[in-house]
Amino acid sequence: MAAAGPSVFLLMVNGQVESAQFPEYDDLYCKYCFVYGQDWAPTAGLEEGISQITSKSQDVRQALVWNFPIDVTFKSTNPYGWPQIVLSVYGPDVFGNDVVRGYGAVHLPFSPGRHKRTIPMFVPESTSKLQKFTSWFMGRRPEYTDPKVVAQGEGREGENAEAERLKAAQLMLPFSSQ
Amino acid sequence: MNPKEEKVKIITEEFDENDEDAGVGSQKKTSKMARQKRKKPLPAAGPEEMVSENPHLGNQPEPLQEDSDTRPLSMTTRRGPRSLPPIPSASRTGFAEFSMRERMREKLQAARSKAESTLLQEIPTPRPRRLQSPGEKELETEFGAEPGEEAQKTQQEDDSQSRSRVKFRDSVRKIKTKPPVPPGFPSAEEAYNFFTFNFDPEPEESEEKPKAKNRDGTTQEEEEGEEEEPPVQGIHKTDEQLLISATEAEAFLWGLDHAAADFVAVRPADYESAHVRLQMEKELLFVPSRLTVPTYKKLPENVQPRYLEDEGLYIGTRPDVPRTCQNIMENRLLTQEPGRRWFGDDGRIVALPNPIKPFPSRPPVLTQEQDFRAELETLYKKAVKYVHRSQHMIGSGDSPGNFQLDIDISGLIFTHHPCFSREHVLAAKLAQLYDQYLARHQRNKAKFLTDKLQALRNAVQTGLNPEKTHKSLDTTQKTINEYKSEIRQTRKLRDAEQEKDRMLLKTIIKVWKEMKSLREFQRFTNTPLKLVLRKEKVDQKADEEAYEAEIQAEISELLEEHMEEHEQKMEAYRAAYQQWKAWKKAQRAKKKKKKQAVEEHPEEEMGEPYPEEDPVKPVPPEPTDRALMEHQVRERAARSRRRPGEPLLVPELSLAGSVTPNEQCPRVEVLRREDVKRRSIYLKVIFNDKEVSRTDSRPLGADFRVHFGQIFNLQIFNWPESLTLQVYETVGHSGTTLLAEVFLPIPETTIVTGRAPIEEVEFSSNQHVTLDHEGVGSGMPFSFEADGSNQLILMTSGKVSNSVAWAIGENGIPLIPPLSQQNIGFRSTTPSSSVHVVANGRIPPFLCALKRADAISSIGTSGLTDLKKLAKWAAESKLDPNDPNNAPLMQLISVATSGESYVPDFFRLEQLQQEFNFVSDEELNRSKRFRLLCLRSQEVPEFRNYKQIPAYDREIMEKVFQDYEKWLRDRNVIETKDHIDPHRAMVAKYLQQVRESVINRFLIAKHHFLLSDLIVEEEVPNISILGLSLFKLAEQKRPLRPRRKGRKKVTAQNLSDGDIKVLVNIIRAYDIPVRKPTASKFQQPSRSSRTFSEKHAASPTTHSPTHSADYPLGQVLVRPFVEVSFQRTICHTTTAEGPNPSWNEELELPFRAPNGDYSTSSLQSVKDDVFINIFDEVLYDVLEDDRERGSGIHTRIERHWLGCVKIPFSTIYFQAKIDGTFKIDIPPVLLGYSKERSMIIERGFDSVRSLSEGSYITLFITMEPQLVPGESVREKMSDVLKKFDSQEDEKLLQATEKFQAECALKFPHRQCLTTVTDISGKTVFITRYLKPLNPPQELLEGCPNNPQATAELVARYVSLIPFLPDAVSFAGICDLWSTSDQFLDLLAGDEEEHAVLLCNYFLSLGKKAWLVMGSAIPEGPTAYVLTREQSHYLIWNPCSGHFYGQFDTFCPLKSVGCLIGPDNIWFNIQRHDSPLRINFDVTKPKLWKSFFSRSLLYPGLSSVQPEELIYQRTDKAAAAELQDRIEKILKEKIMDWRPRHLTRWNRYCTSALRHFLPLLERSRGEDVEDDHRGELLKQLGDYRFSGFPLHMPYSELKPLIEAVYSTGVHNIDVPNVEFALAVYIHPYPKNVLSVWIYVASLIRNR
Repeated sequence: MAAAGPSVFLLMVNGQVESAQFPEYDDLYCKYCFVYGQDWAPTAGLEEGISQITSKSQDVRQALVWNFPIDVTFKSTNPYGWPQIVLSVYGPDVFGNDVVRGYGAVHLPFSPGRHKRTIPMFVPESTSKLQKFTSWFMGRRPEYTDPKVVAQGEGREGENAEAERLKAAQLMLPFSSQ
Repeated sequence: MNPKEEKVKIITEEFDENDEDAGVGSQKKTSKMARQKRKKPLPAAGPEEMVSENPHLGNQPEPLQEDSDTRPLSMTTRRGPRSLPPIPSASRTGFAEFSMRERMREKLQAARSKAESTLLQEIPTPRPRRLQSPGEKELETEFGAEPGEEAQKTQQEDDSQSRSRVKFRDSVRKIKTKPPVPPGFPSAEEAYNFFTFNFDPEPEESEEKPKAKNRDGTTQEEEEGEEEEPPVQGIHKTDEQLLISATEAEAFLWGLDHAAADFVAVRPADYESAHVRLQMEKELLFVPSRLTVPTYKKLPENVQPRYLEDEGLYIGTRPDVPRTCQNIMENRLLTQEPGRRWFGDDGRIVALPNPIKPFPSRPPVLTQEQDFRAELETLYKKAVKYVHRSQHMIGSGDSPGNFQLDIDISGLIFTHHPCFSREHVLAAKLAQLYDQYLARHQRNKAKFLTDKLQALRNAVQTGLNPEKTHKSLDTTQKTINEYKSEIRQTRKLRDAEQEKDRMLLKTIIKVWKEMKSLREFQRFTNTPLKLVLRKEKVDQKADEEAYEAEIQAEISELLEEHMEEHEQKMEAYRAAYQQWKAWKKAQRAKKKKKKQAVEEHPEEEMGEPYPEEDPVKPVPPEPTDRALMEHQVRERAARSRRRPGEPLLVPELSLAGSVTPNEQCPRVEVLRREDVKRRSIYLKVIFNDKEVSRTDSRPLGADFRVHFGQIFNLQIFNWPESLTLQVYETVGHSGTTLLAEVFLPIPETTIVTGRAPIEEVEFSSNQHVTLDHEGVGSGMPFSFEADGSNQLILMTSGKVSNSVAWAIGENGIPLIPPLSQQNIGFRSTTPSSSVHVVANGRIPPFLCALKRADAISSIGTSGLTDLKKLAKWAAESKLDPNDPNNAPLMQLISVATSGESYVPDFFRLEQLQQEFNFVSDEELNRSKRFRLLCLRSQEVPEFRNYKQIPAYDREIMEKVFQDYEKWLRDRNVIETKDHIDPHRAMVAKYLQQVRESVINRFLIAKHHFLLSDLIVEEEVPNISILGLSLFKLAEQKRPLRPRRKGRKKVTAQNLSDGDIKVLVNIIRAYDIPVRKPTASKFQQPSRSSRTFSEKHAASPTTHSPTHSADYPLGQVLVRPFVEVSFQRTICHTTTAEGPNPSWNEELELPFRAPNGDYSTSSLQSVKDDVFINIFDEVLYDVLEDDRERGSGIHTRIERHWLGCVKIPFSTIYFQAKIDGTFKIDIPPVLLGYSKERSMIIERGFDSVRSLSEGSYITLFITMEPQLVPGESVREKMSDVLKKFDSQEDEKLLQATEKFQAECALKFPHRQCLTTVTDISGKTVFITRYLKPLNPPQELLEGCPNNPQATAELVARYVSLIPFLPDAVSFAGICDLWSTSDQFLDLLAGDEEEHAVLLCNYFLSLGKKAWLVMGSAIPEGPTAYVLTREQSHYLIWNPCSGHFYGQFDTFCPLKSVGCLIGPDNIWFNIQRHDSPLRINFDVTKPKLWKSFFSRSLLYPGLSSVQPEELIYQRTDKAAAAELQDRIEKILKEKIMDWRPRHLTRWNRYCTSALRHFLPLLERSRGEDVEDDHRGELLKQLGDYRFSGFPLHMPYSELKPLIEAVYSTGVHNIDVPNVEFALAVYIHPYPKNVLSVWIYVASLIRNR
């Protein structure tokens, strides 16, 4: 154990981004990625993924169902920097431009078992009304330079974000540790 | 047989073995065997035996335990008084084991064995008595099987007693084979004991007693017989038997006896009578008693029960268990062996607190199979009115809230007001003192105390007369003593009181006098106050007598007191004296003795220690001096008491005085009075922080009293939490000010209207008021003295007289909220609730609610007003003060009762820190993992990107820290290995430290993000852009028309290795040197004959024919190709032909960031350079045989280095792209090549080019993808930099900002610099850097007549100082400007430092010189120097030392932003910024905007530069040494680079080169080529020679090696190649070194 490098524990995650509730929008797709600390390294599985475009269900719930699978394994030596899954949802606006509809992040569950997480999503808001209008008009909404910043605390002070609707991602985490 | 018994036997055996001789083993064995055998037959020994045996086997220990359990008292009572010595426990248990029955059985056995022994004719011998084991003593009991339980019991007891007696006494011994004593007879011991011991009465056995006595009596006789018996028996016993222990023998016999019975068992059917059965059961079963177990039984002996509760520990509530159950349990536990551990220190069964919660904490489980439709059903819920503060509300269940609080505000008096005149101040003081006087007078404590004293004295007097008392003498004495001590106390008190009275009177008079003098002084009166002192005549004589009598009495008392004291002291003295005397005597005796001892044993004297210090001889106490005491008493009396005959003074204060009318007052006073008149006061009534009403505004009277007389009836709904009056003052028509807030107490429920007294509540304000008239103001110091001493500061203060009470309704019911309401408001506890509490044994819910909040804070917020009641309730209900549940309440009560909360005089931030420390700090610091984590989070460079820190300490290698620790250690140690030159090593170290400090400074700023760093957002579009984009929308789509797209910029945060590439597009080159035939010597003379003057007017026509002659085979002049090397990756283009080749090729080089860190700061500090080398590809025919030429071509390719262009990566990074034509750095001497300038004749081009010599290459360099350069970081930094302190004038700084803003508005892309950061991080105005500074004298002396040459020399000197960009050294954080002396000390700097130094030199040479801030290629934004010659301007590149005319096309300076002179800054406001197209005349304000102008004059800023630069001569010897070392190292390196080949060094050539290099230095690399070539040819005629000198400033070794490597000289692998390498260092002052390296390869011509 010690000879082959530092002893690590493994975090195996598999689950799926189940569905979302974005009552105003349709035809959305979502992107996921992970943010983790320096002591973490992915060992298997996909770190990032883009889902298919889904349409609203026709029933009352109006859910956007992706059922997009996630399967990734991390190894780490330190619980500090526990991985967070960052979800960003995109979809077309009135003019057909692809704009961001929501960012959200949540820590991966700490305990093994089946977990269901509902992540509130938000988008950054324009700094002024005029910019809001032009960005709407030109289809260039404010976006994060990197969706991963939603999982970080640094430099978020001046930010003005509009909280959006809810979205559920279900993660099942068989957890193992060496 | 039970095990215990066996044990006893074994013990006996051991005794035997010990005492008697060994060798009896066989005998013993047989006996043992027999004993074992015997065990089986026992049950078959008849019914009687069965009965006796069986229970015995089962529960042997029980009887005794039962015994001790059921009748412990009797046991102990009997045991204790007999005062038996303690019995060893082992033997005692041994005894305990034998039941009556067993003994009976044993007796039977004994009888049998007796018979046997007689049969066997064994002769028992007397055995040593002390050997007898307790087991044997069983036989001593001779009681027969007496029927009846009672008898048995007593016997048992007697027996055990007897045994114990026997045991300890050891006096009576018997042999076990004693003839059986008839039943009912006591043993000998018993008999003995009966007569010797003192038996206590045994109440329980009163019946048995006579019996026992009888028995005893008989046994005595028996005993006598017995005493004689043993010897007789002893004779009969054989020797063998002697050795066998008595029991064994018996067992042996017993076994033998029953041998026959073992086989045949004939017995009747078993029947157990009910009696027997009961008895059996009794022994089998145990019924614990229900009686309370006394505590001492439950505790270890001699231990007092300890009640933790009393010690203040919390023990919690025990679960409720009935008393009887507890008793039973305790009894049960006690019978068990380790039962005692179940009992706590307090003698009760250990129990945890009751774990059962009073209410369920788990939410009710919802049934699973609930129909989901049920969930969907809509429930109707009645709308509930939102209640704001329900807990303080009068509930709806109670009578509707028409409660009423009456607030009567009668008036307001200011004790101080800003408008008070000095007289008012005094008047207020006087009034206050008078009030005090009145109060004291009313109480008249002094009189009371005097009377008391008198009474006490009388009492003492009467007490001393024995006739009058009926009490015994000693009690009288006692009371008298008490009286006396009380007299003393009272006297003291009275004296104090009298003194106070007198002082008060004195002060009143003093103040009054002051006031009078003030009135006189100011000649008017403001206050009607008047003090009259009424004198009361006293009878002088009587007074005197009384005074004297008093003093006499006091003296006598004091004397008495002193006498007593003296007596005591004397006593003490006497005792001490006695002691001392005794000691003295002893000492003398000792001395005498010692003397004798010394005489006898003189040697012993030395060791004798002196036992103790000599006690000091006590001094007798002084007797008291009456005269002295009298003096003291009189003095005191004079101080505190009215002198006899002095009239009694009674002050009387009246308002009878008249106030001076306004007309007679001075102006200031009139002003004051008017001001007072203008003022009016009103009060606001604030209830529960809400204004409910306010009084009328009343004017302030001249006496500063305001009368309101208003009553407010507050109809309330909420429970009153706070009641406040706010005092507002209005001055004239201006606004009102809040003077103060007065907090009124909320009345008790008993106080109703009519009964409420008027109370005066004081208030004060802390406002500061200064007035311009007589008024003294508030919070302002003022003085009554003329000189302003004795200053007073008074604050506005006053009293509001008011009364608050509950109103009474129409029917006489007070309108008070009900008490239940108050409970919720934590108000007080009603009896009912306390009953509830007691009944429950737990805290009522409202207190639980209280507990949740901090107790102290809840006082303030929740109207917990009646704490005393709460405390009383807590005491009554016996709340456990140690219960943590009650802690807040208890704290609250303690706070309330003590009247103040305990506020520690320190503040601890993290009180619980200690509790959470799971390891000590040292241990934590020792942890390697923790250290690693700390270092990483501190972003120490070595650990910043450390990934996967191991989870365990043991997995962390020690070497991880080694480098870091070494670095820490060596930080101050100068490492000379890498630098060779100690000075430079020192400088490098210093630079490193500066870098560290700057980095630390910016570390925080680095973590500061701007919004734009995180969010990509479109800029606010202005109308043109918007219009353009709108227009674009309407524009026709033309798909075939390509449009240029801007490249997407990538932030450097999510990149990895291989993502970034450096693209180098090599387009073309001009004027590459061409080959020269080396073999033809005939040309040599013609070349050497050329004069220097011809150089510029080079004659191409002369050369062209020779070239064509040289290459008859039609070989091209040169076949250049370009090789680009970056981070040791090498790419090269194809080979082109001719001196002006065109490649137009794109080369792609991967980029790898150091440590895989692609953060902006890391990228900025990449020090790598992109080398663009131009080579000539030479083909040599290697064919030996001409005949083969037809069939194959064998050529060898050689490449000859022609020149290079070096571009730092940082430039590419910051510029994003580099596009332009660069001068190729071609060595001054390139053997075998010459400049071809004639072949292509393009006149126009040539004429321009001729101005600047050299070859050029056109390049385009960029990065893919484009990285966002550190620009944003820089801007951000500038914000941070502003925060750095600056010594500049604030106005100047503002002006710079304004200037920059204006410039940026006009020409946003032109560089405008006004302030810079110096090396210590301070902002400095830029012109302070420019000042004439002397260049080294050596340079000036070089060519004194030619100023231009001197200037060039100076420029060259400056360019020799190594270049080190700030962006590299400070990781792109900022541009630091060092002054010229710092620069020369550091010997490293970037363009600004070079330019500043050069400019300063030029200024000192008398030139007109400016600093040009602009952009150039390839540097980007940079600094150049502009000088004005007679008619034209020259632009100097300070880093290379080259200069260009203003109209030089190849001038690298491409734009000019601003010019900086020593006293001004000029910003370029011309249309163009290219130096070719602008006018450098700064006097024209239309072309140049100057910083200092008429509006802002030049303030004459002092320079930051030193007065004079001091140059040390460089040590020539050190330079020579360095030269040798560099040469050696380079040679080694070249050999290293050629691992597969032999490297030969040509010594001739080397020495030739070495001689040539100083020549080059002298001529600065010009005009020597031809001479040199000729010389070389002379020496090494038969060698093909290619080589060149390299020249560079010296900073450290690595760049030299790198430069040599990049030339690729070592790559020649011709077998017979030889090398030559020479190094020359020319030292300039101040350690500036110019390094020349000459590398050459030689191939011998065949």
